[in-house]
Amino acid sequence: MVDRRNSPPKRRRDDHDNHDDCDSPPPKRSASRTPPNASPQYRLAARPRRYSGQDGEDSRRYYREEPSPRSRSQSRTRSESRSRSTPDRPSTPPQRGPGPAKPTELHYTPTFILRGHKKGVSAVKFSPDGRWIASCSADCTIKIWDARTGKLEHTLEGHLAGISTIAWSHDSKILASGSDDKSIRLWDVSTGMAHPTPFIGHHNYVYSIAFSPKGNMLVSGSYDEAVFLWDVRAARVMRSLPAHSDPVSGVDFVRDGTLIVSCSHDGLIRVWDTATGQCLRTLVHEDNAPVTSVIFSPNGKYVLAWTLDSCVRLWNYIEGKGKCVKTYQGHKNTNHSLAGAFGTYGGGPPPHQWAFVASGSESGDIVLWDVSSKNVLQRLSGHTDAVLSVDMHPTEKLMVSGGLDRTVRIWKESISPPQSALEAAAAEPPRTNGFDPEILPPNPFAAA
Amino acid sequence: MNLSLVDPFVLAQDCPEVITGRLRSGHSTSIRFSHRGDLLASGRHDGIVVIFDIETNGVARKLRGHTRQIQSLSWSTNDRYLLSAGQDWKCVLWDLKDGSRVRTVRFEAAIFIAELHPLNHMLFAAALFEDQPVLVDMSNEVPAKHTLPTAPRRSQLERENASEKQAAQDAKQTTTVTLFTPSGDHILAGTNKGWLNIIDAMTCQMLYSYRIANSIIVLLRLTQSGRDVVINSSDRIVRTLHLPDLSDPKFDFESLQVEVEHKFQDLVQRLSWNAVAFSSTGEYVAATTYMNHHVYIWERGQGSLVKILEGTKEELSAVEWHPFRPFVAAVGVDSGRVWLWSVLQPQRWSALAPDFAEVEENVEYIEREDEFDIQPLEEIHKRRLDQEDEEVDVLTLEPVKTTTEHGAGDFRMPVLLDIEASDSEDEVVAVGAGQFRRRSPGAGREWMNDGEGVSGDESRKTNGSVAQNGTKRRRAG
Repeated sequence: MVDRRNSPPKRRRDDHDNHDDCDSPPPKRSASRTPPNASPQYRLAARPRRYSGQDGEDSRRYYREEPSPRSRSQSRTRSESRSRSTPDRPSTPPQRGPGPAKPTELHYTPTFILRGHKKGVSAVKFSPDGRWIASCSADCTIKIWDARTGKLEHTLEGHLAGISTIAWSHDSKILASGSDDKSIRLWDVSTGMAHPTPFIGHHNYVYSIAFSPKGNMLVSGSYDEAVFLWDVRAARVMRSLPAHSDPVSGVDFVRDGTLIVSCSHDGLIRVWDTATGQCLRTLVHEDNAPVTSVIFSPNGKYVLAWTLDSCVRLWNYIEGKGKCVKTYQGHKNTNHSLAGAFGTYGGGPPPHQWAFVASGSESGDIVLWDVSSKNVLQRLSGHTDAVLSVDMHPTEKLMVSGGLDRTVRIWKESISPPQSALEAAAAEPPRTNGFDPEILPPNPFAAA
Repeated sequence: MNLSLVDPFVLAQDCPEVITGRLRSGHSTSIRFSHRGDLLASGRHDGIVVIFDIETNGVARKLRGHTRQIQSLSWSTNDRYLLSAGQDWKCVLWDLKDGSRVRTVRFEAAIFIAELHPLNHMLFAAALFEDQPVLVDMSNEVPAKHTLPTAPRRSQLERENASEKQAAQDAKQTTTVTLFTPSGDHILAGTNKGWLNIIDAMTCQMLYSYRIANSIIVLLRLTQSGRDVVINSSDRIVRTLHLPDLSDPKFDFESLQVEVEHKFQDLVQRLSWNAVAFSSTGEYVAATTYMNHHVYIWERGQGSLVKILEGTKEELSAVEWHPFRPFVAAVGVDSGRVWLWSVLQPQRWSALAPDFAEVEENVEYIEREDEFDIQPLEEIHKRRLDQEDEEVDVLTLEPVKTTTEHGAGDFRMPVLLDIEASDSEDEVVAVGAGQFRRRSPGAGREWMNDGEGVSGDESRKTNGSVAQNGTKRRRAG
């Protein structure tokens, strides 16, 4: 328990013994590196786009393919007119032709507050089919909620210690969880039963896991500084990646499964070849701030990493030796492992779709940034404590968040902007679900 | 998506070099890669078909239904269905989604090879032992068998001058190999007298015949384009030849002149070849050798031997080349293992840290003008953030080059948990510390009783239940 004070930040540490006092002494690693200010001073103003007409080839596919004859014909006419101007710039965004203009703000409003976890919620995830929300917590349970109604479907119990991470398989039938009891468990979501053989092999807390797109492999990062690649069918370690010199805080698979990214408190982000286990790229920022979470972009060409200097950085890992292309600031992140997600906005067909980055903040807010302009699109308040995890619905404009205030909240984008977000929230308070643990008799096992 | 990061010199290698792994589940006898290249089907000596996941080297599914050794395997184009032909004289079409048997087709003769139609997984062609080859339509419960011709097509002149003896000989021929062209319009067939026949798959008419060798044609393989054929015949010569586009409507079979492109043989050791395979592009031909532990690889540009894969201590039978990677799998005859050869990818040290660089010789470092200037941190931060002004597209997907990625409607192999535990791969079970015994006969073979009746397999294994002491005793000395 003593070393816990000095250990690097951990998602579920603060609420372990005391709910109210969540400001434990800052971990030594981040203490010296905390930037002088975490306020969004360097945010750039909205800037006109530089490249006017590019892209939209018919051969290209989009992250969320929405079949629309309109968009197809548009892109065709565009490609004809484009042939004269700058011919090939592969990574420039599609031209916004006649269509909805790019919104400058988003209007997510709270719809549900799901209570039930007895300790802080460390991760929330939508299932790939969008039906379920899984949340895991320091209270050693995972809860499966219906994403539409907010109904609690299952409470998965079996881990012997707090759970830091969860991952869905591509078919939404299996949920994997990594826990401080050093094991990874698989759960059958339809029955709520744990698979009898846990994945044993890590020597310390399992901190982050991800399924391969086919579901045949699982990658895990642990406090024992190793990244393990598991054969899911046989529940055995296939490959151990000699990854880092500090706890591995985040792992992810690229969309076709050929690459793995891992990040660690040593400040490194490494990209690995899944088939050979070779390190292909190492990304490091000059300040060397501990990296707490990393994900691939939806198209797999960038990685997004959260660091304890209150920054979220977008890296182009392909070009040259890897380059930080965007820094998103405006949230507070110096102690906890925050995690977030990519989302899309701008309701139109793919050329009129833009991406944003959603992240929690230790102030209790959720911040949404536009990927390209780095502008804050919305700042959502509601959580009363740090928001550790945010996830976006795979197809709809839904967002889920979970944090140290033990609630899971579902947010929905309202089509018409309300006069005032506060007014609207007051007019229609979010429905709560389950019970408030504050009013329950104390759980005799909770403190143990 | 890893291709942009991998060393281009490694990517340029297109011929495997070293043993990189081996797969084992029972005694394998025949193998076949799926079209997408992520699965390898392996037919076992005991009649079980095992699907290996090439990415994890684990077993993805086990299919039980045959009672004898598996003779050949064939995947449907979407990789969802698998046709297996066994020495129990039947072919089974498996649905890999749930592992069920879609159809079981029995024959009155042993089967050399059974090949699924590339477009219609309910249609297959089979070459039978001492019987006419058949085209089987399984779309109905009761499969319809259409006999395919074997007798070579003679020209008008030859037909007129045909002696009775020749006609009798033609009638006596049997087809040993059948193979669909990629369009599915034609069937290539090889006979025991060395004839290469082209049969129309619709009308079952012989379109073309050419005598390519004087002895049995053991195996025919096509490239993915269907324009190149490799022929293994028992006269110890592997032949390659080039075909015109057979599906071209203007193509006239009367004008077809088949010419052997290369004859690969070993004149010194007089090696004979067990099995042959084309590489993914057809650039190379791999062959396993009889009574020899090597896989020979020739390239077709010059027709020269470029590599001999070695490392096994046993003869190899079936050989397969991965559909798009430099990756060869071959079955060991003695152990029944599947051996895998591939290229090694060395770790590039420059990838481990952004300030590492790999240099050929010493380089004098020239520092930048401002490299050691001291600037206010604020200034650096601000400048850096101001530079981040490019448009970033995180949504648009690049068109896929290889076929590993699954589309929305594609079949995905379900992930079954605990498949290894469901039956032990060996016939030996551990009963205590260092104590092993043979698995009792029939254990784990309950599936055989589901309407199959008693098979000959049980009787073969009656002496299997002798308890064994696994610990070795040392003589006191």
